[in-house]
Amino acid sequence: MDIPVEISHGVTFAEVPVKELDASNAGDLKAAMTPILERSAKVVLDLRQMQFVDSSGLGAILSCLRQAAARSGDLKLCSMSRQVRTAFELVRMHRVFDIFETRDDAMHAFNS
Amino acid sequence: MSPSVVAPEVAFELEESIRWHGTHSLGRSWNSLTPYGRFTAVALAVRDRMMDRLLETEERYARNQAKRVYYLSIEYLIGQSLGANLRSLGLYPACAHALKSLGSSLPEIEAVEPDAALGNGGLGRLAACFLDSLATLNIPGNGYGINYEFGLFKQQIDNGEQHELPDNWQALGTPWLIARSDEVCMVPIYGRIEHSVDRRGEYNPMWMDWKALIGLPYDMLIPGYGGRTVNFLRLYSARASREFDMRIFNDGDYLKAVEEKIQSEMISKVLYPSDAVLGGRELRLAQEYFLVSCSIRDIVRRYEKDHGNFHEFSSKVAIQLNDTHPVLAVVELMRVLIDEKDLSWDEAWEITQATFGYTNHTLSEEALERWPVSLLNRVLPRHLQLIQEINRRFLEHLTRIFPGDATRARRLTLVDESEPAHQVRMVNLAVVGSHSINGVSPIHSHLLSTALLSDFHQLWPERFNNKTNGISPRRWLLHANPALAQLVSASIGQGWITDLNELRRLDPLAEDASFRTAFRDVKRHNKACLGAYVKDLLHETLDPESLFDVQIKRIHAYKRQLLNVLHIVHEYLGVVEDGTIPLCPRTYILAGKAAPGYWLAKQIIKLIHNVSEVINTDPRSRSLMKVVFIPDYRVSVAEKIIPAADLSEQISTAGKEASGTGNMKQALNGAVMIGTYDGTNLDICRAVGEENAFLFGLQAEAARALWAQKSYRPQEICDRDARVARVVDALRSGLLCRHEPGFCAWVLGLLLDSADEYLHLGDLPAYLDAQAAVSAAFVDRERWTRMSIHNVARIGDFSSDRAIREYAEQIWNVEGI
Repeated sequence: MDIPVEISHGVTFAEVPVKELDASNAGDLKAAMTPILERSAKVVLDLRQMQFVDSSGLGAILSCLRQAAARSGDLKLCSMSRQVRTAFELVRMHRVFDIFETRDDAMHAFNS
Repeated sequence: MSPSVVAPEVAFELEESIRWHGTHSLGRSWNSLTPYGRFTAVALAVRDRMMDRLLETEERYARNQAKRVYYLSIEYLIGQSLGANLRSLGLYPACAHALKSLGSSLPEIEAVEPDAALGNGGLGRLAACFLDSLATLNIPGNGYGINYEFGLFKQQIDNGEQHELPDNWQALGTPWLIARSDEVCMVPIYGRIEHSVDRRGEYNPMWMDWKALIGLPYDMLIPGYGGRTVNFLRLYSARASREFDMRIFNDGDYLKAVEEKIQSEMISKVLYPSDAVLGGRELRLAQEYFLVSCSIRDIVRRYEKDHGNFHEFSSKVAIQLNDTHPVLAVVELMRVLIDEKDLSWDEAWEITQATFGYTNHTLSEEALERWPVSLLNRVLPRHLQLIQEINRRFLEHLTRIFPGDATRARRLTLVDESEPAHQVRMVNLAVVGSHSINGVSPIHSHLLSTALLSDFHQLWPERFNNKTNGISPRRWLLHANPALAQLVSASIGQGWITDLNELRRLDPLAEDASFRTAFRDVKRHNKACLGAYVKDLLHETLDPESLFDVQIKRIHAYKRQLLNVLHIVHEYLGVVEDGTIPLCPRTYILAGKAAPGYWLAKQIIKLIHNVSEVINTDPRSRSLMKVVFIPDYRVSVAEKIIPAADLSEQISTAGKEASGTGNMKQALNGAVMIGTYDGTNLDICRAVGEENAFLFGLQAEAARALWAQKSYRPQEICDRDARVARVVDALRSGLLCRHEPGFCAWVLGLLLDSADEYLHLGDLPAYLDAQAAVSAAFVDRERWTRMSIHNVARIGDFSSDRAIREYAEQIWNVEGI
């Protein structure tokens, strides 16, 4: 999986490049995120393209958070669609992530 | 306008609409349509008219910001819809006229429609009658259920034995179901709990690795009488979350992908027959949860369209649980409010309790649902967590009220830990999670409060109430018995259709000889119609002058079809051994399905056929009595039998039947009841007058005492009563099992067993006496007709409209809009 990355004000923005994150590509996301999380302690995962996530996809995103935490970093989320938000709420994952409307909001949260 | 008057323009429009659907929906000219195609074209034309009313109804509800009622039931026994819908919309005569113009006939078209048999019996039919009443009373009320691909099995009788055939009722498509693919919902199932902490460091259980199912809703429109209101029943079909799991597909394991898809869709595949051993059946648990999850998600979505928070939820939403099958809804609503909507436990619990009402339908301990903790943990791990937390808080509450009473806590706990395999008691969950708990007849509600749920009653007496069941006057008189409906309307007007107590105005007509004659003519006509059906089906000729003695219901030991058989044998022995000529010839009509795995019920069907063969072929008896078992009993068959019934057999063991509604349907159609002190029999008897029914046998308390004190002695009854002894001897002699010597051994074993909890012989002498009184009454035709008219005139209280009004006022706090 080829993840577009941008760095701004010390925060790395990574955009999930698929509409559907499920068992078929959740492993790819984890693999692609590992080097990003190794390089940066402040990462924002931008979910603007995602319209669907299943339990494997949720597991992959949670795994990214744990990787970040293990390196004393943090992973925040932004630009989540209503459908994806519903899936997060379903499993109570919205309680373990900081979730923001926009990239700017997430960046300010890191830098405030 | 009188319903029999046809407005030509209405008939013409309908005819055009039917033709249009033939051409444009089905791609055939009217003349080239198959019978089912013709039915479909007619149904689609009727559906169009209901669609307009549905939209108007929804607008009206929205404009009034109405509180909504949601009825959750795992079963709906709808039967056929075309005729009933046409009558509710006032279009029956117009449609008949339109079809005549098309060279067809409405009864022919109606006969083609398969029954929607999404239920086993009384519980499902009650739900269907309640939907009719909700719409007729203009109450914003919707049903939620499962769109079973296969309804209740079809019963085929071969050599007297029941065989089950699949009921693929939607094989040709059904015009009544409207797919709402824009309102699908995702249902997570299975998985595990990951124990973690949230951003604030608080415990945060996460439900991970679930499998997703998709709930695809189909709406069946439910018109109220007069057509002003059209509500809907929403039935969900299960679909795999993705048409194929792409990963498996890409890996080339196509067959595995297809298997998983099939497994997911199994959930709405088939209705479980009642009396099946359901405990531990994973698919059944998944079915119940699937219904609940789809319903709650839909209800919450609908509420959130107009509300920004959940403060008003219970003042805008009422949910009624039809028995414990949908009780996981309590837990699912808690999960949604806490996990997804971030409400605190206390807020969520207050809303949940204020939202749910629970209707109990059984007193039998064995029939109460329990689910193993291990199974719940695997299928619904998050729900199990929530059940355990509900239980922990409930037991804390209990300890505050009854400190140190560990025995009480063990009786009331939601999680039974007395067995090695811990189980969740669903009835306890329903009681704890609901603000209202009702039984379905006075005696049943009394027994709930004093026996089955007495500990809970002591704790929360204000939650307990009674809502006596009822039946729809539209379905069970207007539609099922048009001849009687016409006579009634001609005599007292049509007010009875929506106010069944209007029938009371028939009471004085029992003394009017010309009315009695007309009433008898109607009954004779209905008996002839049933006779024609039986002739066609079984090649048996029924004598319409004979007493039609009818027992139609699920075959079950507690309903005591066997007691009926014992009386038939007694009568037969009187004829062949004593040369007695019965006071009146009788036709014994029985019908009902036995659950496929219920050996005893299937043996009873076999016994009825054996007895039938002996009696119907014996030249000494065949002109005096006839025994007929009508196969494949279902709603549309009930609609043929009930109008023709003279005598209504309601002879279950006292204390076993919660309510019964067959007794009401038959009384409404002028059958006189012979019944035990069970369910609503006594209430019906009080309503119609003791002189117009035949009650007999043990009362519930006495039956229970006999059983509890182990003082039931069937052999002593045999020794005391020669009639009983003779019947038992006849069974022993092999008289009734010519071709299968020894077949009746099981009957003898059951009847003479002091552990027979159904007390067959205990009630037999009183039953024989009551039957003798029936015959004496029937031979006096004028007296019998009076009794029959009084049954019709005084049954008004047993309307489902009355029941729904009581639910609406006393439990749901809703009104017609």
